[in-house]
Amino acid sequence: MTARITQGMMNQTLLYDLRNVTTQLSTSEQELSSGYKLNKPSDDPYGASQALKLRADLAANTQYQSNVQDANSWQNVADTALGDIGDSIQRARDLVIQGANDTNDASDRQAIVTELNQLIDSIKTDGNTQYAGRYIFSGTATNTQPYQLGSNDAYSGNTAMITREIGVGVQVAINTPGSSVIGDGTGGLLATLRGIVNDLQSGNTNALSTTDLNALDTANDTLLNARAQVGALSDRLTTASNRLQSTEQSTTQLLSNVQDADMTQVMVNFSTQQAAYQAALRAGAQIIQPSLMDFLST
Amino acid sequence: MGLSTFMGLETSLRGLLAQQQALDTTSHNIANASTTGYSRQVAVFQASPAYTMPGVTTAPAGPGQIGTGVDVAGYQRIRDAFLDVQYRAQSMLQGQAQANQDGLQQVQLAFNEPTDSGISSLLSNYWGAWQNLSNNPEDMGTRQALAQSAASLADGFQSLSSQLTTLQSQTAQNVTDQINQVNNLGTQIAQLNLTISKITATGNSPNDLLDQRDLLVDQLSALGNVAVTNGVNGSVDISFGGASLVTAGTSATLAESDLTSLSAGKIQGLITLRDTTIPGYQAQLNTIASTLITKTNAQSAAGFDLNGNAGGAFFTGTDASDIAVNPAMVSNPALIAASATGAVGDAGNALRMADMQTTPTIGSATIDAAYTQLVTQVGADVQQATNQVDTTTALTNALQNQRQSVSGVSLDEEMTNLITFQRGYQASARALSAMDDMLDQLINRTGRVGL
Repeated sequence: MTARITQGMMNQTLLYDLRNVTTQLSTSEQELSSGYKLNKPSDDPYGASQALKLRADLAANTQYQSNVQDANSWQNVADTALGDIGDSIQRARDLVIQGANDTNDASDRQAIVTELNQLIDSIKTDGNTQYAGRYIFSGTATNTQPYQLGSNDAYSGNTAMITREIGVGVQVAINTPGSSVIGDGTGGLLATLRGIVNDLQSGNTNALSTTDLNALDTANDTLLNARAQVGALSDRLTTASNRLQSTEQSTTQLLSNVQDADMTQVMVNFSTQQAAYQAALRAGAQIIQPSLMDFLST
Repeated sequence: MGLSTFMGLETSLRGLLAQQQALDTTSHNIANASTTGYSRQVAVFQASPAYTMPGVTTAPAGPGQIGTGVDVAGYQRIRDAFLDVQYRAQSMLQGQAQANQDGLQQVQLAFNEPTDSGISSLLSNYWGAWQNLSNNPEDMGTRQALAQSAASLADGFQSLSSQLTTLQSQTAQNVTDQINQVNNLGTQIAQLNLTISKITATGNSPNDLLDQRDLLVDQLSALGNVAVTNGVNGSVDISFGGASLVTAGTSATLAESDLTSLSAGKIQGLITLRDTTIPGYQAQLNTIASTLITKTNAQSAAGFDLNGNAGGAFFTGTDASDIAVNPAMVSNPALIAASATGAVGDAGNALRMADMQTTPTIGSATIDAAYTQLVTQVGADVQQATNQVDTTTALTNALQNQRQSVSGVSLDEEMTNLITFQRGYQASARALSAMDDMLDQLINRTGRVGL
């Protein structure tokens, strides 16, 4: 005997199948409207964990890029200031050679001294360069002006390093303490220039052309070294920026693979499901309505 | 000796009556085709007791017994008790899976992931704010931005925690409601038991009341494990979750503590959610929040604020339910300990805070990874619950179909029966007419030859 099929069974089966197709339709619809195949963690728990991780990676990457940007701007400001100091040293060197000439009389040397004093203030002003309201040659004491104009050559900053994180666990020092380039009252460029001024005033031309000139060259070497470091760091930052950008690109691609819906596929699925739904509805209308009753005469 | 002249009339009358009763039963079936829990009924025909021809010398004698027509022996309810047991067992599992899925889906909604407003994104913003502060440790605006994004993160934790607590208390309320429903069903079954045993005692079968009672037991089985024992006079004794719920005409009022051996069902599903699943998620969330609080505050204490003083607590509270940013830091962001040395331009401490993002702090997992794990677990739990609901629903439907195959009303079949019984009625009436003609012949025309 064949199984007894009743109207109730057909109703129930039709309803169950219609519900299934409707659920699938609504899922596809959500994917289409949101553009994501990952709308809830339960859609794909592993994918969801990947998506969360990749999103965090992307946010961190953007942050590192902004850190690199900031470090780069800092380097540009520092490089300009150090360049100006270099120019001042060149001018000072010319003046020393001029002052070492024995044909100069006291008033000529006094004129040179006046210009040298102006150069010293100019170098200090460069040492007081600010970036976004911060003294960049002041170590970590960024709100302390490192040099006072005038006769006081003391360095008020510190020699601590300021670092920027440009990758996971990758930190670079971005600052150059003023004391290592310009020096303080007791040594370095400023002390050398003060010595030159003294020698000019005392007429010690011998010292000017020997020890003073040598000391000035040494100070210039120190400066060039500092500028080379800034340049090298700029290169490194550019490399880091490129690397971060390419990582960003690949992470975005990965994230898209994990969470974005494949529109073509979803559209095809959606159409198929819609066809199935309509077929089920039509079949339901055909199956449920007629019974033997429709074919019996009264 | 012979039979009564009018015996044929009686036989036809029995036929007419029986066909009519069968037609009534068919009408009853058709009328109840859509009634939930209805089992189709059949009028059982039985040949009425035969008449034994009395003999002259010995009995029995003559040709033997002569049939006297048909009787309706009873109205049978077509139902398979074995399928009932199977259906109820499956319905119990389905009820549990459904309760589990409903609860977990709400938990998943509370997590609100993956979106830009979920804790995952808030964490990213928070770490980014520390990085920004490490770039600009002197800037009050940057400090304020950090305080704000930390406050958003704390709000995110608090909001999720309170949503989980609400879900848990709603589930607890639902458990109470469902147990009330059990007691309510128990009362109805006990009342039906009383009526059923009265009718059964008179020898009748109260088919429609039995259907109603079976439907109530079906509903009960979705809530938990039900054991049905047949009692006297058609009444049933029912135990629910290991506790006696119905004994003949009396029902007990059960409390949650009475359900000592609840094995499955909606109530069990809700209890698991209330006592295990949701508290489990909450514990994990609290671990993440409390780790964030203690590690951040320890790091803060190791650093210095903008005034060169040792850093105070950055977060207040102990877990996800009460985590908040220290109000002093919000009103005066200069107190945020970004410096590792005390120098204003030093951002070593801020960097160390930011590095917490990539440092394992909860076992071998970072805070972000621990949270992602929690979200993944919720997602996997929902997925598993959904699969369970799909499977148990399909099985329950299959069993319901099997039951319908046995007990359901088939309109085609009823229509066929309608024709059969209608024709039977017509035929009996025709037999009656034939008998009437014969009697007319006998009474009015016999002995009147030539008239």
